[in-house]
Amino acid sequence: MKIERAAVIGAGVMGAGIAAHFANAGIPCVLLDIPAKDGPAKEGTDRSAIAKGAVAKMLKTDPAPFMHPKNAKLITPGNLEDDLSLLADVDWIVEAIVENPAIKSDLYKRIDPVRKAGSVVSSNTSTIPLAVLTEGQGEQFRKDFLITHFFNPPRYMRLLEIVGGADTRADALAAIADVCDRRLGKGVVHCKDTPGFIANRIGVFWIQAAVNAAVDLGLTVEEADAVGGRPMGIPKTGIFGLMDLVGLDLMPHIAKSMSATLPANDAYRGQMREHPVITRMIAEGYTGRKGKGGFYRINKAGGGKVKESVNLQSGEYAPSEKARLDSVSAAGRDLRKLCEHPDKGGRFARRVLAQTLAYAASLVPEIADSIVAVDEGMRLGYNWKQGPFELIDRLGTDWFAELCRSEGIPVPALVETAAGRPFYRVEGGKLQHLTTAGVYDTVVRPDGVLLLSDIKRAAGKPVWKNGSASLWNIGDGVLCIEFTSKMNAVDGDIMAAYEKAMRLIGDGKGDWKALVIHNEADNFSVGANLGLALFALNIGLWPQIEEMVEGGQRTYRALKYAPFPVVAAPSGMALGGGCEILLHSDHVQAHAETYVGLVEVGVGLIPAWGGCTEMLARHQANPKAPRGPMPGIAKAFEIISTATVAKSAAEAKELLYFRATDGITMNRDRLLADAKAKALELAQAYTPPEKTTSYVLPGPTAKAAMELAVEGFALQGKVTPHDKVVCAALAEVLSGGEEADIAKPVGEDHILRLEREAFMGLVRTGGTIDRIEHMLLTGKPLRN
Amino acid sequence: MKSVVIAGYARSPFAFAHKGELTKVRPDDLLARVIAALVERTGLKTDDIEDVIVGCSFPEGEQGLNVARSISFLAKLPQTAAATTVNRYCGSSMQSIHQAAGAIQMGAGEVFVCGGVESMTRVPIMGFNPMPNPALKESYPEAYCSMGITAENVARKYAISRAEQEALAVASHAKAAEAQAAGRLSDEIVGIRTPAGLVDKDGCIRPGTNAEGLAGLKPAFTADGTVTAGTSSPLTDGASVVLVTTEEYARANGLPILAKIRSVAVAGCAPELMGLGPVPATRKALARAGLSIADIDIIEINEAFSSQAIACMRDLDIDPSRINPDGGALALGHPLGATGARITGKAAALLKREGKQFALATQCIGGGQGIATILEAV
Repeated sequence: MKIERAAVIGAGVMGAGIAAHFANAGIPCVLLDIPAKDGPAKEGTDRSAIAKGAVAKMLKTDPAPFMHPKNAKLITPGNLEDDLSLLADVDWIVEAIVENPAIKSDLYKRIDPVRKAGSVVSSNTSTIPLAVLTEGQGEQFRKDFLITHFFNPPRYMRLLEIVGGADTRADALAAIADVCDRRLGKGVVHCKDTPGFIANRIGVFWIQAAVNAAVDLGLTVEEADAVGGRPMGIPKTGIFGLMDLVGLDLMPHIAKSMSATLPANDAYRGQMREHPVITRMIAEGYTGRKGKGGFYRINKAGGGKVKESVNLQSGEYAPSEKARLDSVSAAGRDLRKLCEHPDKGGRFARRVLAQTLAYAASLVPEIADSIVAVDEGMRLGYNWKQGPFELIDRLGTDWFAELCRSEGIPVPALVETAAGRPFYRVEGGKLQHLTTAGVYDTVVRPDGVLLLSDIKRAAGKPVWKNGSASLWNIGDGVLCIEFTSKMNAVDGDIMAAYEKAMRLIGDGKGDWKALVIHNEADNFSVGANLGLALFALNIGLWPQIEEMVEGGQRTYRALKYAPFPVVAAPSGMALGGGCEILLHSDHVQAHAETYVGLVEVGVGLIPAWGGCTEMLARHQANPKAPRGPMPGIAKAFEIISTATVAKSAAEAKELLYFRATDGITMNRDRLLADAKAKALELAQAYTPPEKTTSYVLPGPTAKAAMELAVEGFALQGKVTPHDKVVCAALAEVLSGGEEADIAKPVGEDHILRLEREAFMGLVRTGGTIDRIEHMLLTGKPLRN
Repeated sequence: MKSVVIAGYARSPFAFAHKGELTKVRPDDLLARVIAALVERTGLKTDDIEDVIVGCSFPEGEQGLNVARSISFLAKLPQTAAATTVNRYCGSSMQSIHQAAGAIQMGAGEVFVCGGVESMTRVPIMGFNPMPNPALKESYPEAYCSMGITAENVARKYAISRAEQEALAVASHAKAAEAQAAGRLSDEIVGIRTPAGLVDKDGCIRPGTNAEGLAGLKPAFTADGTVTAGTSSPLTDGASVVLVTTEEYARANGLPILAKIRSVAVAGCAPELMGLGPVPATRKALARAGLSIADIDIIEINEAFSSQAIACMRDLDIDPSRINPDGGALALGHPLGATGARITGKAAALLKREGKQFALATQCIGGGQGIATILEAV
């Protein structure tokens, strides 16, 4: 069965967010809520005001639920009384209304007669078992019903828990899982019909255990988050920061619903505890970021901005103090060392990890058939770097069993089964996991998923590598360059790796046919290595700096005009020099969540590895722009001078960082396979692009126009003194320079020379050096 | 001298550029619809038309290709009627009236359709390809002084406080809202069909605009300035047209005579103080008419910005309570090419409606100019 059209019922934060994500996937979606009775006067008698208001609100929400504002047009808002007939055209109806079985049951009975035969209905419930939801419903409804549990916010959280019931049609389950995977880009985890499924079952326990331990062991919220954040492979928000994000008031609700449905002997019952300080905070409106503040708050009293945190014992706020724990600094990335440390940080880590990981281990096979699903659930649903079983492996199963004993926790059966063996192992280059039967099974990836990590594991060693990049054989004659430098910053070694790749691939007619640029880090590349640049600047190595610029241009040009296809497959941030390589690729196959930008002006520079030249070419050739020499120049100037970063691959297309022909892959796990397929397709009859030789640029006239614009912004106070210097240099490049004239088109070599000259001029200014230093010190741009 | 008269006036609703109700309407279609309605309302014999003169500030894109000719075709005027597009920035469509009056005086025709149009949505201010002369920018940067900055310059030179500027905006919105509510604007407006339905009301007027609300706005052009979006006319889409002919022709053909043109003038001034343009232009026009400002009963002065309108009133000795009885551009909007025909047509219509003797229509022009027309009851 095919899912072409969808509907979401319930236009709350989750429902509306799911509808927006359908739109992001290009799936038209009906969004229904109850009729508005007493809507604001402005909306008059519009009975669909609730759903319409939800869409309007999402257009203003940051981070944006929509990947592009135009996606909002794919949503048809309506109300449940007048517009039920809209459901007759949809293939999948997602119910995301209040968590009340009686109200849900009534709704199902109303939608069942109008929905299309063969359509699927799923609930986004996070707590109510499927068996309860289908009670009293007709046979066909039960066959067409399942649970699809999205995480908030639906666009950004990758986990989707899917639960089928005893009656659910297998083809319905498969079709929904497939559309969630390929079209919505979710990591689909099959769960059993148990309370909280996988991620919330463990996540809620973990949060409660951590709060209890922090209070009992006397840790401050900063200390708890310092231990419970990065050292455990958890986002730096830690536990209290996370609660501020999701809302403190959610905790009592979850506790209540969990205790209503969990088995009588469940370990969570032992953790459930009301903390008077938190109860008081909720009562007083300190519910987190959505309220007056939470465990952390920004106190703006007296005109300042002071970060404060709450004292877990007294409930009083005081200026936040950075945690200083020996355990954290001594352990580094060694989890075992952290747990063994005698200070309160170590004791906290030991207790929280022992309780949480033991709980998780005790739940297989109750909540899922394999440990792989549990680990994936925690990685994708709670952004843990590693799942519970991967964490146990870091500690060692034996060591962990011992830890449980010392903490007075029963050793989980699965840990006993492991008997000292790891939960995961690599056998014959393949990743295997321990089953409940005590044997190892190969971890099977879904069809069409190709992970560089799997390839690396199987290959053992790369084709070639240096300090900042590796070249991997990803099969069928395709070579993949992986950045390995810190934050994937681009440096000389990465340029050398490109050169090596070009030598290996040669004319593309031998063993190698194509190059793919890809890595699995959070961010594709944050740009050129500024630290190296600053070092060279400080000692005045001008010729070396110039060579760095010119060499980068040479390498990127060589890749662009190489006799074989180059396909880039980015995900996450691709900034500065990391964006410029995308501009030089024959094809970009981007993950939908790719954030691209030429942000050089932030450090007082201009893109000089061909970024200006490529953006100019693209914007001047943009068929949608008005004719004439100025619109393309003005657009490129606007984008580069304001360091505009596209907040999705779709936005990147609009800004022409990506071409209309570039591809977007919704599921990150499918990115490399898509890129490789495209590379092989291009390799079949590949001819390199022609050199652009006819840039029509008005020279000083265009520069004058750009200067006028900048002067206007300067008067408005939107441009700093050094911005003016940088903008002037950028205007010089994009205008074509002193000699350019509309009657005398220039080639790309001319603009590349201007890029180099502008760059070399800027690096000699104090303002630019200050910006670079500031960025390296603080990670933030200096507005000088 | 022949007696040259305004014998008909109509306009489209004015709506916010980019977010208003006319964003999806091409400017040539917009003015063509207004001209067709004027022809229908007046019963004009279109075969008698000598020329269609259309003012436009940025005659390119959809406003390019001698848009006056396309508009004539779209309005189904006979091909024997000639057409020309004129550009004097904001003074463009008042210029089209002056041009017609001049032609009539020298016997170069008798019936002229004089209009103006600007879709500030579909053709951006400054045009698609702004290409200033770099040598002029260097030697005389004032030549390219932006409009907002000229408004700040005038405010500073005349020490016009922000509160005073805002008071004019409040008054303009109040007068326009009152006129709209009383139906005094509906006669001149031609309803426009858009994909979303009929638009027959001005869209920029904000009834209830008050000093407190305006005081909360940020300066729009300089960080420490006094001019805000509330004291600047908004970017607007709109079109307007007047019929210019001889009194004799109008009477013979039963056309509705609103007023006769008594005198006209244009004048240059400092580009960085372009908002003062109405002062020398009005003085010249008054002198040519042998009148003083005290003789004028109806005054339509374009409110490009509060500051420049106030400065002009000070220099010309005009009591602010006397201007723009149905609201000015701060409230109605200022579709650059269309404003001149609107305020001239409006001044003529007001003369007739109020039964008064003399009217003045005047406006400032980017680049440092003013334009003025003095009308007289017939």
